[in-house]
This record gives sequence, C-alpha cells and structure tokens, in this order.
Amino acid sequence: MVAADVPQSIPTGVPEAAATAGLNSLKAVGIGVPLLYSLTFFAAPLVFLVVLGFWLVEDFQVVPALSLDNYLDIAEHMFAKSNYALAIAQSLWVALTTAFFAVLVCYPMVLAIVYVAPRSRHRLLLMLAVAPFWSSYVLRLFSWQILLANKGIVNSGLAWAGFENLQFKLLYTQIATRIGLIHYLAPILIVVLYVTVANIDRHLIQAARDLGATRWQAFRRVILPMSRTGLLVSTSFAAIVSFGDVLSGALLGGGAGASVLGSVPLFSNMIMSEYASSTNLPRTAALAMILVLVMVLMLAGGAALAERTKVDAG
Amino acid sequence: MASAIHPSDPLAADGRGWRLAGRLYMAVGYFFLVLPIATMIVFSFQKGQFASIPGQGWTFQWYGKLFDDGTLLAALLNSLIVSPLAATGACVLGFLAAYSIHRFRFWGRGAFSVLLVLPVLIPPLILGVAFLGLLSRIGLQGQLSSVILTHMVVITAPAMAVIQLRLGQMPSSLEEAAWDLGATQFQTLYKVVLPFALPGIAGGWLLAFTFSFDEFIIAWFVSGFEQTLPVAVYAYIVGSVDPSLNAVGSIVFALSMLSLIGVELLLFPILLSQYRSGDD
Repeated sequence: MVAADVPQSIPTGVPEAAATAGLNSLKAVGIGVPLLYSLTFFAAPLVFLVVLGFWLVEDFQVVPALSLDNYLDIAEHMFAKSNYALAIAQSLWVALTTAFFAVLVCYPMVLAIVYVAPRSRHRLLLMLAVAPFWSSYVLRLFSWQILLANKGIVNSGLAWAGFENLQFKLLYTQIATRIGLIHYLAPILIVVLYVTVANIDRHLIQAARDLGATRWQAFRRVILPMSRTGLLVSTSFAAIVSFGDVLSGALLGGGAGASVLGSVPLFSNMIMSEYASSTNLPRTAALAMILVLVMVLMLAGGAALAERTKVDAG
Repeated sequence: MASAIHPSDPLAADGRGWRLAGRLYMAVGYFFLVLPIATMIVFSFQKGQFASIPGQGWTFQWYGKLFDDGTLLAALLNSLIVSPLAATGACVLGFLAAYSIHRFRFWGRGAFSVLLVLPVLIPPLILGVAFLGLLSRIGLQGQLSSVILTHMVVITAPAMAVIQLRLGQMPSSLEEAAWDLGATQFQTLYKVVLPFALPGIAGGWLLAFTFSFDEFIIAWFVSGFEQTLPVAVYAYIVGSVDPSLNAVGSIVFALSMLSLIGVELLLFPILLSQYRSGDD
C-alpha cells in the first residue's frame, strides 16, 4: 500500500518496434480487467445497496420501489420495540471503549518490544504476536467461551488453586465481547504501532536524556508525541473494526450482553439476527445504510477531536 | 528504521526496574495472546464435554467424532475449494493492477488504486448485505461460486499490496534490457516480470488465502446452504457445546501455522529487504 508511490522511471529512450508491440493491449488488460471486476462486484453492489434500501417486500418477493417505508419504520422503532437507538448507543460504547483499551494495552507492549528486547529478537517477537491472527477467529471465540464460562477454565482453575471466592461472571456480557475483540485486534495493532515506534529516531531520545530529561520526560516529550499518528490510526482502525464486528458480540456477548447501558445487543448483531429471522433484504439494506452513516459520523467526530488535541499539544 | 548506533539503549541504560517491568508486561501480553489457542489445543484432547480445571483425562474421541459427524468436515472441504480459488483469482487481479500502477501513467491512476484498496476499509457486514443484494438479483446467491466471487473483492487488496512491494524492488533496467534484446511487451511480462514477482505473488496468495479461509460474515450472507468452515462452526457453536470444535480448531491452527511459515519465508524477506540495484 505504501509502495504505490515509489517513483518509477519509465524508459525514456525510443523503444524498439518489438517493445511497443502489444503495449496498448497490455495496458488494456492490466487496467481493464481489475477495473471491470471492481466495478461489477464491488462498486455495483454498494450502489445497489443504497437503492435496495428504498425497495419493498411484497408476498415474500423483493419488489423495486421508491419508498421511504423501511426508513420510516426503523425511525418509528428507534425507541420502541427493537430499540435501534439503544443498540447503536451500545455499539458505539463498546466499540470506543474497546478501541481505547486495545491501544492502551498494545502500546506498552510495543514499547517493551522496541526498547527492552534486543533488536535481534524483534522479528521473533513480532511473529509470535501475529501468530494468533492466523488461527480462525470463530474458533478462538469458542475457545474464549470455554475459558470465560461461569464454570469454565478461568473460574474452575481459580477454584482449583484455592480461590473459591474469586469467581468472574464474564461470558455473555459486553466485557467478554471486548476481550474477544481486543484479542482479535492486538496482533494488527502491535504491528502498526511497532512500525511507528521503531521508526522514532533514537538519537532524539538520547539527546533528551543527555540534556537531563528523566526517562518519563523522554517518553512524555519525545516518544509519545512522535507516536501520535500511529496511535490515532490504530485507535480509529480498532473502533471501525469493533463497530462492524458481529462475531464477538454474538458468541461472547451472547447477543444481548450486559454493559453499563443494560442488556442491549450491538447494532451489528441486530442487523444479522433481523436478517436471519425475516430475510427482509431491503430492510436489512436500510439498517446497513444507517450503520454506515453512524460510522462516518463517528470517524468525523474522531477526526475533529484529533485536530483539537493537536492544537492543544502545540 | 533507526540503526543501532548506541550499544546501550537510551531508555534503559541504567533502568533495571524498567527493563524488568517491560519483560513482565511482555510475558503477560504473550500469555494473553496465546491463551485461547493453547486452550483449544489442550482441550481438544480432554475427555470432559465441559472444559474445566483439573482436567478429566486424555482422549482422541473428539477428532474421531469430527470425522464421523461430517458437517464440519464438509464445510472444511467447501472452504478448501473456495479459498484457494479466491486467492488465485485475487492474485491475478492483484498482479495485473499492481503491474499497471507500477508501470503505466494513466488518467485516474490514483482513483484506480483507491478503488482496489477500498474494500478492506468497508466493514464486511456492509459488504455482505450489499453482495447478497446484487447477487440475489442475478440468481448467483447460495453457491460456492458466490463466495469465491465476493471474497475476491475483499482479498485482492492484501494480495496486491504484497505484489506491489515486490515490484517496487524490481530495477527498471531489468525490463529495459529485455526490450532492448527484442522481447515484446508480453514476453517481457511473462519471462522477466512474472518470475521476479513470484515470491511476492506467493506471499500475497497465502495472505489472501488466510483472509478468505477465516472470513465469516460475507460467507454467512451469500453462501446459503453451501457453508464454509467459519459459517458452519458458527452455527455449531450457537447450537451446542462440543469439544469437536477444539479438534477442528487445532487442525486449522496446524494448517495455518504451515502457511505462517510460508509467509515467514516468502513475505518477510520482501518486507525487510531494501531496493537492490540491477545486479541480482
């Protein structure tokens, strides 16, 4: 993704006749095939998703229409029956706190890798951190289920070790949802943050230390500001992924896991379960559009906030 | 990356306490990362249906049950059809796109690469609904091919990224030499560029395969009754507590460790090596 901008000189000398042979057809295939595929199977479905939200279901058949019924119905149930507004609030709350804690947990991990572990070990440590990412996400969540269950491995292990009074009720709460998500996000965040932190010029840190800065001051004044972009990117990435994820909320949150907001399902889980029970695709499309809208607003809010902190810091 | 000019770390030169704290933190972190995978492997060999400590003895019964039962195995086979084909398709698209971006200057070049990378930035839940919407209009839903076609959209970007990294390391003199020696555009592509890009394509393929193999929500929407492994596993988990899942998990993890080693051998050299000039 980065290499796209590597300037590549095009041979300027007059090409031989043979060299130009097939140049145009090569260009046509090279650009045309991926472009056509992308337009047909990526752009077209997204455009159609917007259209589909205005269609209706009559006699179990999807029929073209230009109707606001889906959206009006959803608006009606924002604070009644399905309580979409509560589900959206729950999703935002879980996604934002997950993103915050995920970065809070991964950043010190990366600092430890970069500044404590010897350089020759970095590659191994990164490989190890990325390893969970290569195992199936659904199956890892199953594993977390048997770990976190009320009589699961964590609790039975604690009891076995003599801590009968130290028992956790985690499964089917949004805390479990967050644990699953953080475990899912950690490998990616560690790699992104590693690239950021490892690229900080050590001379700057050395200079700060030489000039009498304490270790904490060197961190606060040099490392932290220089990690800013990496931290912002990983936080927003984590928030987007958490907001759109269905699996952790369904399997660890149990569909309607409890949080401080109450036992309310995530909006993403609601979309999935509504489609499973109704197979009403136009309505599902409308709900999906609302998810997109909320996500765009969330990102815009985050960007505005980042801009403000930049001004404050400066 | 900063080179190791200072033999002693500026942050840890005299801070034993900090070093110790850092090591402890890493230990806890890696324990957290490994915990569910270790659990999965250990309890796939444990007798009790409900996992608890202390264990209840060792057994192979869950692996046996897996092969007797068949639904998960059928799904695994489906996945082993879908993911290699989708990864291959993604590599074809990814290579064509990466080469065009690398080689040609054309109108809308920036937009072209954004369009190809965009699918990974959109939540798969949205894509799942969108794909099903369109596919069901043209009667393509509920087949293995619908999963292949839609997975290709999402996994082309990672494949392309790796191939781009590799092409970025290709000295332009290599192609020029081929042209000077009389090779046509297609000959150069086939005999010079493709062999050079091969490690990148292989690395990209493994990455694309892994993404497809683990993808859930798009497959859930478009696959219908032709479930892929994650979809079947999800249905299974929602239905019951069955340690056979640990057995599947262990098998899948063993498989993906193989691909991880492949990535380690193919991908990391590309990511870590610098641009080398013409003589290799």
